[in-house]
Amino acid sequence: MTRIVLDKLFGAGVAIFGASLLAFLFMRVVPGNPARLIVGPLATPQAITAQEHAMGLNKPLWVQYWRYISGIFSGNWGFAYSTGQTVKHEIVARLPASAELGFYAFVFAFLFAILFALVATYRRRRLVDAAIRGLSFIGLGTPPFWLGLLLLLLLSQIWGILPGPEGRLGPNTPPPPTVTHFYTFDALIAGQWGTFWNAIQHLVLPAITLGLAPFAYLVRLLRANLLDISRENFIVVVRSKGVGRWSAFVRHALPNAFLPTLTAAGLLLAQLLTGTVLVEEVFNWPGIGQFVVESILRQDYAVVQTFVLLSAIAYVVVNLLVDVLYGVIDPRVRLPVAR
Amino acid sequence: MATAGLARHAGEEIYARVRRDTARTLSHLAHDWSLSLAVALLGLLVLLAVFGPLIWKTATTVNIGNSLAAPSLAHPMGTDSVGRDVFARFNEGARISLSVGAIVVIVGALVGGTMGIVSGATGGWLDTVLMRIMDAILAFPPLILAMAVSVGLGAGLTSATLGITLTSLPYYARLLRSEVLRIRSLPFIEAAHALGARRLRILLRHIVPHVASTLLIQAAALFGYAILTLAALGFVGLGAQDPTPEWGTMITDGLQYFLTGQWWIGVFPGLGLLVVVTATNILADRARDILDPRGQYAYV
Repeated sequence: MTRIVLDKLFGAGVAIFGASLLAFLFMRVVPGNPARLIVGPLATPQAITAQEHAMGLNKPLWVQYWRYISGIFSGNWGFAYSTGQTVKHEIVARLPASAELGFYAFVFAFLFAILFALVATYRRRRLVDAAIRGLSFIGLGTPPFWLGLLLLLLLSQIWGILPGPEGRLGPNTPPPPTVTHFYTFDALIAGQWGTFWNAIQHLVLPAITLGLAPFAYLVRLLRANLLDISRENFIVVVRSKGVGRWSAFVRHALPNAFLPTLTAAGLLLAQLLTGTVLVEEVFNWPGIGQFVVESILRQDYAVVQTFVLLSAIAYVVVNLLVDVLYGVIDPRVRLPVAR
Repeated sequence: MATAGLARHAGEEIYARVRRDTARTLSHLAHDWSLSLAVALLGLLVLLAVFGPLIWKTATTVNIGNSLAAPSLAHPMGTDSVGRDVFARFNEGARISLSVGAIVVIVGALVGGTMGIVSGATGGWLDTVLMRIMDAILAFPPLILAMAVSVGLGAGLTSATLGITLTSLPYYARLLRSEVLRIRSLPFIEAAHALGARRLRILLRHIVPHVASTLLIQAAALFGYAILTLAALGFVGLGAQDPTPEWGTMITDGLQYFLTGQWWIGVFPGLGLLVVVTATNILADRARDILDPRGQYAYV
């Protein structure tokens, strides 16, 4: 067991190192001099050289890499010249918006996926199952940015039920006092029902847009596993002892079929929380994704490097947690694999 | 004489096999309405992509006098902000999406598949190095990686294709490696060893044919991913550039007109994406049901 955990830890470290190296090299290989971009097209050669010195661009590559990595771990994430703020400031300011949206999208995807997969398996080979399967195929095939536009067109523009792409709150609603940085929770804590309702209304469309593909994916996964498990002998035994069909499903088949879904859900949560590029663009959501796209277009080294490293760490850590959780839930995983 | 007889025999056998497989495929089609719908829709789009630009020759050049016209008989999908016929652009977009999807999938399957097979068959340091590189690529957010490659090589269709191919490699390499490891431990490989077959022969004659269907299914599953990612890159301005009628770029064109009522500019390309990706996903799903019901493939 210790050996396996150590192996996994080592692999995780190597993956993070590799991703950081990739990010670093890509931003160096890109044509264009960031120092020139910062000081502007009219600057003198001396100004450009001075800027290069200030950024450490004249140092050998390995020194630059060391500065980048040690900076990340000591909290010095560099300077985002395109906004004139430190990268840390920008990311800390934008993370709550991305995280709140990702959280609600995940809750929507996860809860509905469990419900729909149960219903689909329970009513196997019937119209409901066919409809749910069709929905999951369409959910996986829909380009999210296009779906967002379509929903805005219908629900906001034509029917006027929900607000347009205004960001997290309407223009006349001030943000609630900060406690958790999630507007919905903060508004509840402060007892501002109007603000809460406004935040929820602004969350509905982006959360559905963002959550549809994860929802479709989880439905398909859980449905396949539920079908497999429900054919096992122990389900027949449980049924023959007089347990009803529905409770045999929920109490006995679901817990046994749940592990792969849990793994997938963990990784999806990590991806959703660190921001999603396209949906934020469409809904004008002031999150990390939008910021990173702008930074890539402007070749803002520091932002892209930091973002890549942070999401690689999130991905790897969640992966590790899922592996460990697996061992806790399913004792068979703990045994060394005999080959 | 003997060889000729053998060749004729082999020919008959292949013919019988093809006939049997065709009959089987047709019977699958006839019994499965969602599969036949997917095949029909995909076939329609392929026809539009191949013959559309040849038959529907309405100009895709700028014609300001006829801008933002609603769908009509002359322009079945309307015209865009500078008066280009959306249907003609849609057909060319189908051409671009389908061919980029095919290139990404073929190159990715060949390169990634080879990496996986070599990794699984040789083991040792080469295996370790290759798999660590794949882990690093997986830990990188895929869209960001594709965007970085695109910026690095200069935004355009070619660099976008390259970036997407790069992000798809780990999905092939990791799956094929585990398949090779599984097959290598089966008794018939041991038997081949015992009969004195060399390692290369075992690899090429016994292991590679067994992983071929796995590779095929994974490639089908990643076709939709390739097309969606290309559109996403086009949407943020890092894929195909404006006069190129790529579907994602066309959606960006229609972005500002969504809220002013000219929905047709952005809706049709998105519908095309939806149909292509859903249809190929259904095909991949059925291929997996028929060829390899137990395998684990990517859903991306």
